[in-house]
Amino acid sequence: MITGPDLVIAPLAILLGGAFAIYLVGRLVTARNEVLAVLTSVVFALALAALMTLTRQALAARAGGLPEPAWTGSEGAGAGLQARGGGLSIATIAVALGLCVSIYCGRYLALDRRQKVTYPLLLLLVAGLVGMVMATDLFSLYLFCELMSVTAYVLVAFRRHTDTAVEAGFKYLILGSAGTLTMLMGTALIYRETGSLAIEQTISAPGPWARIGLAALLAGLGVKSAFVPAHTWLPDAYGRAPSSVSAMLSGIAIESTFYAWLRVGLGAGFPAAQLGMLLMVVSVPNMVVGNGLALVQRHTKRMLAYSTIAHMGYTMFTVGVGLRFGIPDAVTAGFFLIAAHAAMKPLAFLCKGVCHLHYGATLTGELRGTWQRTPLVAVLFTVALVSLAGIPPLAGFAGKWFILGQILRARHWMVYAGLAILLANTVLSLAYYLPVVALLYTAPPPGTELDQRRTSGWMAVPLGALGIIALGMGLWPGPWMQWLAALGVAGG
Amino acid sequence: MTTVAMLAILVVPAAMAAVLVVFRVRLRRAAGWCAGAASLLTVVASFVLLGDLNLGHEPVLVASWVPSESIVLGLHLDWISFPFLLTETIVTLVAIVYAWGYHHTDERSPLFYALLLVFGIGMSGTTLADDMVLFYTFWELMLVASAVLILVWGDAPPGGPSRRAVTLKYFIITHLGSLMVLIGLLTIYNAVGTDTFSALRAGHGLPFELIPMVTVFFLIGFSVKMAVFPLHIWLPDAHTVAPMPVTIMLAAAMLSMGTYGILRFPFSLFTREQLGGFAVPLMIVGIVSEIYGALMALAEEDTKRVVAYSSVSQMGYILFGLGTLTQAGIAGATLQVIYHAIVKALLFMVVGLVVHGTGRRRLGELGGLGKLMPVTAVCGAIGTLAIAGTPPLCLFDSEWMIFTGGFASGHTVLAAVAVLGSLLTVAYALWFYGRIFFGQVPEGLHAHRGPWALLTPTVLLATLAVVEGIFPAPVFVWVSKQVALLLGGMP
Repeated sequence: MITGPDLVIAPLAILLGGAFAIYLVGRLVTARNEVLAVLTSVVFALALAALMTLTRQALAARAGGLPEPAWTGSEGAGAGLQARGGGLSIATIAVALGLCVSIYCGRYLALDRRQKVTYPLLLLLVAGLVGMVMATDLFSLYLFCELMSVTAYVLVAFRRHTDTAVEAGFKYLILGSAGTLTMLMGTALIYRETGSLAIEQTISAPGPWARIGLAALLAGLGVKSAFVPAHTWLPDAYGRAPSSVSAMLSGIAIESTFYAWLRVGLGAGFPAAQLGMLLMVVSVPNMVVGNGLALVQRHTKRMLAYSTIAHMGYTMFTVGVGLRFGIPDAVTAGFFLIAAHAAMKPLAFLCKGVCHLHYGATLTGELRGTWQRTPLVAVLFTVALVSLAGIPPLAGFAGKWFILGQILRARHWMVYAGLAILLANTVLSLAYYLPVVALLYTAPPPGTELDQRRTSGWMAVPLGALGIIALGMGLWPGPWMQWLAALGVAGG
Repeated sequence: MTTVAMLAILVVPAAMAAVLVVFRVRLRRAAGWCAGAASLLTVVASFVLLGDLNLGHEPVLVASWVPSESIVLGLHLDWISFPFLLTETIVTLVAIVYAWGYHHTDERSPLFYALLLVFGIGMSGTTLADDMVLFYTFWELMLVASAVLILVWGDAPPGGPSRRAVTLKYFIITHLGSLMVLIGLLTIYNAVGTDTFSALRAGHGLPFELIPMVTVFFLIGFSVKMAVFPLHIWLPDAHTVAPMPVTIMLAAAMLSMGTYGILRFPFSLFTREQLGGFAVPLMIVGIVSEIYGALMALAEEDTKRVVAYSSVSQMGYILFGLGTLTQAGIAGATLQVIYHAIVKALLFMVVGLVVHGTGRRRLGELGGLGKLMPVTAVCGAIGTLAIAGTPPLCLFDSEWMIFTGGFASGHTVLAAVAVLGSLLTVAYALWFYGRIFFGQVPEGLHAHRGPWALLTPTVLLATLAVVEGIFPAPVFVWVSKQVALLLGGMP
């Protein structure tokens, strides 16, 4: 039984080692897509098991009043990883999602080439993400963030024979690098002032450089988290990437950078109330721009991408209210929304991927006839979209219930103003989710070939699993809330 | 037995809907019968529950849902919900029977009937729910089911907005109302710390300054569902485009859910003194809605739209009755809900028979049908006279009580305006009836007799409208038991 520090790096080691091993298998043994998909999912499953064990230990440590298990690198450098509650929840979601996506790719990528790099990149992406949310020092944070970003750039431009994918990847690269560079500059400035790289800084009176450094760090992470107006890379990247990649990125990647944003902001001694205020203000353009632009999209994945920006806005607002008014449960509710979003948005992207694979549907109008062709996908797509719209009894509604309930506990005019904007936005969002749902069941224009397609098991299983989670989180949100509360996500 | 009956109201139609969906190929022809049987069982179960309520048993079911947030799921029936539950189950049954004759059987029929059942579950679940989560879930279920029914089986008149546009408008506007309700619910939830209504009945502990805010959210939210002016804008289109059985359910049953919400929340949580400030605004909005609906009904040419606008007008009466905050006014408003359900279903059925028999739906193209469709004409006469408030038909009784409440509330001028405004109701009702059933038969107009599945429920409802008008006693007893629970106990 591995314990303590070894277990903390176990998930990361499994993911990184797995990436290397799968690349070797693809290179030397076989490049068959199915084999690589199975191997990748095994790696994800192992990493998930390691994370769950780690979670159990972290919970036991919390219960015993001890610090969470941590791993420190070479002596004196201060670099390290720690299994904190919030990070563990995000990492678990990411690895579980990786498992779903890798199984899905067993069929989805069958017609592509270069699978031997795709699967390792997918593992590296998740490795970067897991490392980032568990990092205890700014430099590891930067490194893992960069690892995640670079793999994401490549994965977005993976179908390099299409100009649009390359263009989107390039745009993502430029803006993403600007973000990470800003982060690096911030890290350097903080180090210059304090001589420490720890995220948990104990600066009593930060000097001007430390302030600028912190601002730069938050700005850089804000770009990665698609805070409006630094969101422009997101719709292109998610709209052009393969659906499997969009699912990963939209489901958990920007949420993980948002978590890092919170960690850095709070860790550096930023007063929670000020940080919350900042989040509340920044969330408004996220909601408005996300929903407003989603409304005018004809391209399904771009619409889903803008809806991610909007959901990010809801999460930011809720967490912001929690920090500003000292309501820890609101932060937990924000994490619940992240978890719910991580089930329903990837489900939507992956369903869209099936439609694209079978009959080349890209625009929303081309989704007509999905019910006639692939009934299972139509039903699951409906679950995803209706859940995103926040209709009971699905996960999105449970999330809406919790966040609204917590937001209403803060009795302040600014909260009410933000709430009005949030509600107006959820109503606005119906205007783009529901027509798509209707289109799924509309008969396609006459003359279209309507061949019934059996959805391959490779795709049906992960889609079904996500669908069950989206339904389960709505019907029975208790255990999920308990899990998040037990992990103490509200405390970071 | 009691809890079994209560569960049966939700589970039997749900199970039948699932069966219809799964065996949709085999049950194509029998779908209507199956749905009707399930719906009949819910009506029987409602009467079983009535027996229990009369004995003083209030059926309760409770289950914990999210322990960490003390969210509990519960079902419960009391005198506030019973009149609505009964109205809703009966209207669903009647609508399904009507659909046997109206709905053209095809391979999607099982889905149609399954959705009618789900729509019914949404409404009975709303009345039975004893906690906020279930209440809101069923509240939205009713919206989702009806929106799908309108979207897929709707029948948009040429020249008007498309089914899709109408459905989206219906969904978005009523969902906006739902969100208002949700805010109200969550505010109370935060104050009480749990979501069960049983805890609310024991005392809500809501800070005094929040009561007006919560009331405003509830009143606006539920008024959207009630479709009173100016929140009615979804109604005429949705009611016109929906297929006739769905229109019957929308107009006769779903609108009453708004009244139920107002009675269930602001009226049973707060006292008369706390709501005092809302009396005059409610009465004024009621009067405006009453007059506006009637004027629009006078101006409309499409038969279905006339009846749809008459709902806006009728909901105005109900809101006025509630606004009086008097025993007579509130009892009258609840009676009006029940009687309006009977009469509105009847009128839509008559319109359905006319459209079905002649293939025309514009008033200008109809006329003289009294000779061609005598049974429909008699039923139509009862319906229009009832809506005009003619004694001894049922709506006369409820309007009498509403206006009594109006004068008893001391706002004599408002009450007088409301009474005078009812003249417009008479005007549109008679004008509507005269243009369809009197006068010359236009050239080329042929009418065939409606099938028995359309005529039977129509005749039954017409009979009920007369019987209820003459013998209002049993329903009146239920309603007065309800009123005793409202506004912190009635004097």
